[in-house]
Amino acid sequence: MSRFELSSAAVDLAEQRERLRHASSGGFCAFEGWVRNSNEGREVDGLSYEAYAELALAEGERIVAEAIARYGVTDARCVHRTGDLAIGDMAVWVGASAPHRDEAFRACRYIIDEIKHRLPIWKKEHYVTGESDWVACTHVYREHEHEGHHHHHHHHHAHAEPFVPDYSRQVRLREVGEAGQAKLAASRVLVIGAGGLGCPVISYLAGAGVGTLGIVDGDRLDASNLHRQTMYDARDVGEYKAELASRRVAALNPAVQVQLWKEPLDAGNVLDVFRQFDLVVECTDDMRSRYLSSDAAVLTGTPLILASIYQYEGQLQFVAARPGSPCLRCLWPQEPAPETVGSCTLAGVLGPVPGVLGAMQATEALKFLLGMPQPNAGALSLVNLIDLSIQHLPIDAAHGCAEQGGCVEVARRAMARAVEEDEVDLAFDRLEDAVAAGFQLVDVREMEELASDPMPVAAVHVPSARVGERAGEFAEGRYLLVCASGRRSAHAARLLRGEGVRGAYSLVGGLNALRIAG
Amino acid sequence: MTVVHLQYYAQLREQAGKSGEQVVTSAASLRDLYDELRASRGFSLAADVLKVAVNTEFSTWDRPLRDGDTVVFIPPVAGG
Repeated sequence: MSRFELSSAAVDLAEQRERLRHASSGGFCAFEGWVRNSNEGREVDGLSYEAYAELALAEGERIVAEAIARYGVTDARCVHRTGDLAIGDMAVWVGASAPHRDEAFRACRYIIDEIKHRLPIWKKEHYVTGESDWVACTHVYREHEHEGHHHHHHHHHAHAEPFVPDYSRQVRLREVGEAGQAKLAASRVLVIGAGGLGCPVISYLAGAGVGTLGIVDGDRLDASNLHRQTMYDARDVGEYKAELASRRVAALNPAVQVQLWKEPLDAGNVLDVFRQFDLVVECTDDMRSRYLSSDAAVLTGTPLILASIYQYEGQLQFVAARPGSPCLRCLWPQEPAPETVGSCTLAGVLGPVPGVLGAMQATEALKFLLGMPQPNAGALSLVNLIDLSIQHLPIDAAHGCAEQGGCVEVARRAMARAVEEDEVDLAFDRLEDAVAAGFQLVDVREMEELASDPMPVAAVHVPSARVGERAGEFAEGRYLLVCASGRRSAHAARLLRGEGVRGAYSLVGGLNALRIAG
Repeated sequence: MTVVHLQYYAQLREQAGKSGEQVVTSAASLRDLYDELRASRGFSLAADVLKVAVNTEFSTWDRPLRDGDTVVFIPPVAGG
């Protein structure tokens, strides 16, 4: 679709603006160039534009595309008038919409500066004296020529020369060599979660030249992520982490193929997705996702590297997904309630802690892909960063799922249950829509969360830990349970379903998902 | 009475206010020991959501305690 137009009629502002509306845009910025009544001391009463249309259209299109790529804006457009114009008429219109205002302003400025500098359009000024003159193109100050080196590098897509990855430092290792490097290039690794654990995993695997990286993350970047999620910076807040991470991979190592999922995997697609990869690295902060991943690993025979953290500690487990090797359910058979396992939001976390555990996951991943020994792979490793100790506890597979019919059977039952449970998840753009659809809202957050972040519409308050004992209150009607992220509400809704409450649902993504990025 | 060394992880460490301690107990099994500690240390998690390890091996909850055992209680954690 063309983003640059030449028009002999007045610009339809409403239409142009509407075409830049995108759900991912948090702002819009426009520049209008008007015909003024004087130029270099001479009074002007109108002017005419003549364009070399074919060339102008091609060049204009190129300029707009450059601005989009250069500043990472969602969309941009430009219309330039031709023909006769009077004082006050609009001669040129530029618009850009972007997640954040700064990019929109910069893109607008870039387009108008380049248009004036490069477009084959000539301006004939008509003076009040009755004379007229073709006005020469003068040098235009172009802001972007003066932008510092600190500029947003990862939005530059164009490379002056093709980049050739240099793996010499790892190829030098006896265990890697050219053969190992070829193995990495042929490998496909799925990373679930592009947060505190996922940042080092994705960075190291991309840097190492793993051929294909899958990245799954349904969240947008929040400012509170930046102390531990080292691939991102302050300007990225509000954008999808999966998109940011894939841009980061492209910038770090263009040789790596990236596939991305901007929704969490669910019981409906997880098996198909796992089958496309040689190894999965689970990096979410979501207990349900870890159990889903463990079950999918077992059922598809895809090895899985689990890690999770709590404040200053972490746990690491390699699930080989082979008969006789233990899975997550061999340790903790049932998914614990979200309230009991803690989270970075509620319990706090020191930034480098997920960094250490993520780096360990990346190391295990490379060792596995290279066929190196993993002496502690069958253990649960407890990493304590207070006293810098690591304790390996071997897992006896004979005392885990084996007593319940084996990992595969246990995983199959859990997966069937998960398919049913996914029905509780409902997505709404606005809570008002849920109310209009006949849902009674139930806020399952803790009292202190309500105080700091009140619900935008009326809701009953029942803390998630107490939902089970009050199941009787939900017998009639349809209830949409809401929490900050959608995790506690989903768990509570499933619990209610288990108690026979048919009308229990959960808002996917919670209140966080309702916030428009900006 | 039995003397055992305890190590706490994650939520248990936070609730106990320390990474470990040595205790003298009359508890006969790991389960009795944890129930005792739950009352005295205010642990919120029930034993059935935890794993327990003794002398760096996972153990069942009915294992009897012996002098000098190092006991580790491990809750599942979800942060990432």
